[in-house]
Amino acid sequence: MNEELSQDSSLIQDFLVECEELLQGMDQDMVALESSPQDSELLNRIFRAMHTIKGTSSFLGFEPVVRLSHCAEDVLNAVRRGEIQLRRRAMDALLASRDQLGLMLQHIRQGGLQEYKLDSLLQELEDAQKPEVAPSLGELLVRDQVITPTTLKAVLAEQAASPEPRKLGQMLVEKGLSSPLQIGDALARQKEIAASAAPSATLRVEARKLDELINLIGELVLERNRLVQLGRDFSSGSLAAGDLNSFLGQSTARLSFITDELQAAGLKTRMIPIEAVFRKFPRLVRDVAHNLLKEVELVIRGQETELDKTMVELIGDPLVHLIRNALDHGLETPEVRVQSGKSRQGSIVIAASQEGDQIVIKISDDGAGINPERIAEKALEKGLVTPERLRQLSPGEILDFIFLPGFSTVEKASDLSGRGVGMDVVRSNLKKMNGTVEIDSRPSQGTTILLRLPLTLAILPVLLVRVADEIYALPLRSVVETAQIQRQNIHCIEGAEVLCLRGETLPLIRLQQLFEDKTTRSAVAGNEPSRGAREQSWKAVILGIAEKRIALLVDHLLGQESTVVKPLGSYLHHCPSVAGATVSGDGRVRLVLDPAGLITASEALDYDRRSSAAPKVSA
Amino acid sequence: MVGFHVGGEEFALDVLRVQEIIRLQELTRVPNSPEFMEGVMNLRGKIIPVIALRKRFGLDLVPPDKQTRIVVVEVNGTVLGFVVDSVSEVLRISADTVEPPPRLGKVEREYVSGVGKLDDRLLILLDVDRLMAESGEMSATTALA
Repeated sequence: MNEELSQDSSLIQDFLVECEELLQGMDQDMVALESSPQDSELLNRIFRAMHTIKGTSSFLGFEPVVRLSHCAEDVLNAVRRGEIQLRRRAMDALLASRDQLGLMLQHIRQGGLQEYKLDSLLQELEDAQKPEVAPSLGELLVRDQVITPTTLKAVLAEQAASPEPRKLGQMLVEKGLSSPLQIGDALARQKEIAASAAPSATLRVEARKLDELINLIGELVLERNRLVQLGRDFSSGSLAAGDLNSFLGQSTARLSFITDELQAAGLKTRMIPIEAVFRKFPRLVRDVAHNLLKEVELVIRGQETELDKTMVELIGDPLVHLIRNALDHGLETPEVRVQSGKSRQGSIVIAASQEGDQIVIKISDDGAGINPERIAEKALEKGLVTPERLRQLSPGEILDFIFLPGFSTVEKASDLSGRGVGMDVVRSNLKKMNGTVEIDSRPSQGTTILLRLPLTLAILPVLLVRVADEIYALPLRSVVETAQIQRQNIHCIEGAEVLCLRGETLPLIRLQQLFEDKTTRSAVAGNEPSRGAREQSWKAVILGIAEKRIALLVDHLLGQESTVVKPLGSYLHHCPSVAGATVSGDGRVRLVLDPAGLITASEALDYDRRSSAAPKVSA
Repeated sequence: MVGFHVGGEEFALDVLRVQEIIRLQELTRVPNSPEFMEGVMNLRGKIIPVIALRKRFGLDLVPPDKQTRIVVVEVNGTVLGFVVDSVSEVLRISADTVEPPPRLGKVEREYVSGVGKLDDRLLILLDVDRLMAESGEMSATTALA
């Protein structure tokens, strides 16, 4: 240690305070980095912090701190420059380094640095800088001493010389040099190594959330034991059938409760505060505003609102795009603002909150707003709508055109907003999360964009309905109401059916029409519901998304259910009206319909019917 | 290898690819899905797409009978089921009896990785990965139609 400086304890105090602060910030940033490993903002911050620690500790002669921070800095630099990816190995090494540095600082505070065995950690950091390559099968087998290097060489040579491609594993088995089991093992390990090189898929969870989970599991176990006992008692004859009935009822109720709680607690472990995404916005806004010569005040609210980790990862890009939009197109320059009587400084508010079973994120600016007329013009220009149809649309509905692919009123895609992430991508990203995006704007007053996300990714309360022979599920949050309707309420306007409900006219759709499929077993010829003309009254489910409403004609309403929605998989995701499928209590698969998709499809049908000569609208 | 019959021909699939073989169950049709998609079914909580191989190979559909089975396979990370007319048995086909596929009538050459001979039977070795890779393209074009 540098003798003169070690006596200057105030210097050391300052050093400690500064470094401890840096390490704390680094801690938070590293957690955020796990959710968004591509975030260069975060990476740079962590790098700079590590660099500062290295610099000041070197000045004060704290050699071990210098060595460690130097190595960590190298890793961060490599990630920053894109030489390596931030994978689990690198992340683990960095986290371990941060902890070790914290420990060292603590020791300095307590009296002085101690002896540290840094070799293994330093080695880890070194290794983290090398790109991860999975060893080949041959290498693994030699490592395990299944075959010798010479043998491997010979077989590889033979493999290379063979006219047809032959698998190394197969050849070795054929020659009796190794057993299928050994080959299988080695292949499995190779896969494992390759997988561990994949981006970090770990998550930090508050211990309290895990405790809750374990408690509930305990309750589950108790209830299971109770059921087992019930079964035994009944089969041994010591329990009457009547009693069994009531005990079973009790147990089922208890199990229902525990399962619901378990579901919620399980999902909660995957939730992190949205702050992880919001934290980079102040800097972003500052930089962009600066480049655009605009003055902005950013207000962020609801940072503690929690979201599923996957959603936090997915929502980042859309949010950044929306903010850039607000800055670029929404807010006016200070001069223009003053001229229109507004304050010089524009404001952007980003607020997150939980409303019932949804997370709502609002991005609003007090800028120039979006002019529906300009949008209408653009839409006409691009042939996305006909003048007649345009006349029927409300300003709110016109704004929706922004979400169509290929739509942009900006002549030149500026470097900021035109990165290929248009509003249509924002909407489809949201859709992937079962969320929605709405836009509300007043010219010269400002624009507000509302993002709605389900609190939990997979579980959805649905309304079950029967149409012809099939049972479908409709997401309850899109169900406005259900109504009993009479034949008289159904009218035909320009070839399209509508429903008159309390003075309001809603487009009416019958599922069979949308699902016109010659092989559909339940396809019904003509337009009558399967129950035939005997019924004078049917049931309609009014679905609503934002401002749009449609009525869906069904045969029966079967009740509500909270169910797990599963995606249909890669070969089937081209059906826009179908959001996924769920397995009902009796083991059958029920399709979950997508109200937004239904609305779009019915609009397309409508449009087709009315103007068969006009070009087709891509909705 | 697992042998099975589709449309009068006998095919074979690597037994390690086959997760299970089950009886024909109730399938839920998915509207606007590709032609060969029979629908989806519930496999112990997992929802898997089921493909009618007869349709995929361009053959006529026949009503299912007691022999009809679904062969559950994992392809490209997805678990799927194939409806086949019947399943014969697990067999071992010796590598040296496998020949490259000759011109076959009904089944496209690309999905066939070879033809094996067992006693007097001719088994068409099916390459499911390629079969489904093509299907992926087909389903994409169906959506645009």
